Amino acid sequence: MTGTDLLWLVGPPFLLLNGLLLFIAYLTLLERKFAARLQSRVGPYRVGRPHGWLQPIADALKLLLKEDIVPALADPTVYNLAPIVFLVPAFLMYAAIPFAPRLALADLQIGLVFVLAVSSLEIVGLFMCGWGSNNKYALLSAMRAVNQIISYEVPFILVALVPAVLAGSLRLQDLVDAQRGLWFVAYPGLGQLAFVAFLVTALASENRIPFDIVEAESELVAGFRVEYSGMKFALIQLAEFTHLFGVACLGTLLFLGGWLGPGPAALGPAWFVGKAVLLFLLVIWVRWSFIRIRVDQILGLSWKVFLPATLGLLLLAGAVVAARGGGGV
Amino acid sequence: MPDPDARAVIELGYGGNERLVMNMGPQHPSAHGVFRMILTLEGETIVAVDPIIGYLHRCHEKLGETLTYVQYPSIASKTDYVAAMTAELCYVRAAEQLGQIEVPKRAQYLRVLCAELQRVASHLLWLGTWCMDMGGALGGGATLFLYCFRERERILDLFEALTGARLLYGFHQVGGTRYDLPADWADRCRQTVDDVEGRLDEYEAMLAGNTIFLVRTQGVGVISPELAQEVGVSGPLIRGSGIAYDVRRAEPYSAYEEFTFDVPVEAAGDCYARYRVRMQEFRQSIRIVRQVLDGLPAGPISSRPGVKSVGQVKLPKGEAYARVEGPRGEVGIYLVSDGSTKPYRMKWRGASFSNLAVAGDILPGHKVADAVAILGSIDPVFGEVDR
Amino acid sequence: MARASARAMVVTLRNLFRRPVTVHYPDVVRPYPDRFRGVLALTYDPETGEENCIGCRLCEYICPPQVIKVEMLKAEKRNYAKIFFLELYACEFCELCVQVCPTDAIIMLKTFDLAVADRRELLLDKDRLHALGRQFQPSWATGTGLRAMQAPAPRGGEKAAARDTAE
Repeated sequence: MTGTDLLWLVGPPFLLLNGLLLFIAYLTLLERKFAARLQSRVGPYRVGRPHGWLQPIADALKLLLKEDIVPALADPTVYNLAPIVFLVPAFLMYAAIPFAPRLALADLQIGLVFVLAVSSLEIVGLFMCGWGSNNKYALLSAMRAVNQIISYEVPFILVALVPAVLAGSLRLQDLVDAQRGLWFVAYPGLGQLAFVAFLVTALASENRIPFDIVEAESELVAGFRVEYSGMKFALIQLAEFTHLFGVACLGTLLFLGGWLGPGPAALGPAWFVGKAVLLFLLVIWVRWSFIRIRVDQILGLSWKVFLPATLGLLLLAGAVVAARGGGGV
Repeated sequence: MPDPDARAVIELGYGGNERLVMNMGPQHPSAHGVFRMILTLEGETIVAVDPIIGYLHRCHEKLGETLTYVQYPSIASKTDYVAAMTAELCYVRAAEQLGQIEVPKRAQYLRVLCAELQRVASHLLWLGTWCMDMGGALGGGATLFLYCFRERERILDLFEALTGARLLYGFHQVGGTRYDLPADWADRCRQTVDDVEGRLDEYEAMLAGNTIFLVRTQGVGVISPELAQEVGVSGPLIRGSGIAYDVRRAEPYSAYEEFTFDVPVEAAGDCYARYRVRMQEFRQSIRIVRQVLDGLPAGPISSRPGVKSVGQVKLPKGEAYARVEGPRGEVGIYLVSDGSTKPYRMKWRGASFSNLAVAGDILPGHKVADAVAILGSIDPVFGEVDR
Repeated sequence: MARASARAMVVTLRNLFRRPVTVHYPDVVRPYPDRFRGVLALTYDPETGEENCIGCRLCEYICPPQVIKVEMLKAEKRNYAKIFFLELYACEFCELCVQVCPTDAIIMLKTFDLAVADRRELLLDKDRLHALGRQFQPSWATGTGLRAMQAPAPRGGEKAAARDTAE
């Protein structure tokens, strides 16, 4: 293998990973500032005046330097491995996400399935965190998490398949190409319902309010993360945010037209990231406007409302395609 | 090296039958202070609850015996520190009842004014912390918490202009009040009260009709009227269960009979009913504040000369029980005097103490998430519970 | 449900466009009201430059947490305070000492930020108290002022009313 081959093999993932790390770190700052403005206050302000630009760096440094406490009775293998198992699927998702027609790490024919499958692996890491901590709060939270995430993955996958059915392909680039005429979210009735269902099931799979019973601060103090400190805690937080942004990217690809937008094709990645960030802001806005739902109510909602609804939407999408004459667009 | 004895303690917690004994300890984000509950859970359902109080015990009743009638009112505010005005009012009323001391009209009106403003401020804190408990310290609950505190800060600014302190005032003294209104205070008060009333509409818009909120509060934590009377709860808890008992109506004190206001009562007895009672109490308190400002008479603010020495107030022998309607319920003080400058015995009837006693009866059968909702709607303040 | 959620989100959005209420302390200090009960201090008589405190110990007796310690020094024309210790770390800021002082010697200031790294620095002695009195703005409340405001006689009421409007 020549030098340039090696460079092409290692370079892009290296760039993606590091760029993503920095970007996600600054997304946390964006969340804090946006949330603060929603609450009539100013977010991080002092570190890197005037708007707290250095806050993510300061947080990362702080967490690096914190003492790493392992509870005496925790299962060391499970406890130490859990953050890594939690982190890897979150980053692996980005391998198949295209930022522009030819800008993807891996151009998979079944890109959508890959992304959905890998993002579902998170639950393993979460449960390992809760189990390995040897703490009743963490255990309770992990149990709730398994319940909730598994219940909501099913409607999530079903509603993510709606654009795939409409486009006739599982390849993510094809999905965006099929939206050249009209974004899927703009399809009358079907598009909006599917988008809302996607948002809600995504919020539930992400443990975001109103579905954050898993880490309900006022009941379980930090849920499955309660025994983690220092860099392991940082890894868990990073993984959560990365996963969330990954789902926002997926939503952009599926419903909001990916990189399509006015202007030259070179602006594509900018449009893509911009739309994903807007979706992310929408998630934050929802998070800071609602109180959480109780766990049995969440599960009832999933099985009694969202599963039939998303099945219905999938059937409706199939009917639309059949009426159009089958095949792709 | 795992400690084998430690392992034994942990395994003891699992009481067979798939039951988990969990400690919602004194340090907890939604403990509303320092309150310890040992919950026995079956899955997510609470089967038994063992409440433990006493973490904030500061010997108020003993302090009442060692401090004179002049010194104690500023200390009285530290029992119900969220609603300091009503706590102090209770003590000075008991002393005045013992000594048959008249309070001038202006002082009575000022007391009503401060008590009602305090009720608004205390309920704002209740709403903020309750929504924060239900919505998470980092979620939509925190948004409402910060909004409520933004409004509460305005009322505290008013109190600061009046007394100089924001939380523990020392405003009352035996015979009247210590401070009179500054020059432009009445206009500021009217403006603040108007703004708060406008913002209340915003909060109700955020919560009322919100299915998530309704589903979390309706049917949760039902206190039946019989249970309420048996345990002795008071305040919004008993009015939320259908019994119209308000000390301001049952035993009017401090010129309350001169004001028109409604006493809101709801029949359902669940968290939602208590929420509605307190939301209506907001508006009624603001109504009273406006009436007081309109009708405030001129005159002295105390019927006794200004405090010049520590032993100035000497009450005759006797005993008296005085009660006020605090934001949490009936706050009472029972004073026994032996004719000197200090009480012989002082007993606090803390509203939250009796209210919290109902928690052990209504929590079993609910989920863990409901425990915080119920505790928040009971609105305990542990200064009152533990004294 | 959708309408209620939309209403909640509109409320949050409306607050997005309101000005934040944050006061950027310590760059910006909010104005303290006249009656602010801050750190305590001892005063001098503005005309003669003498210390006001006559060491009568009334403040020591009335203080609920007993943080004041005074010893009187007898002299020919008037008495002084030989020592005057105030344990600020235990002070409740209840203003009772200010209320009873017959010579308006002890007052409260319009400042509160006296953060220290060692609690012993909050054990204020007489020199420190006088220095604080010189350094910061005093609050409105003095012994005579408070007692006049509370006086029950109509004359006292008029005085109090006149004092309020003159503020």
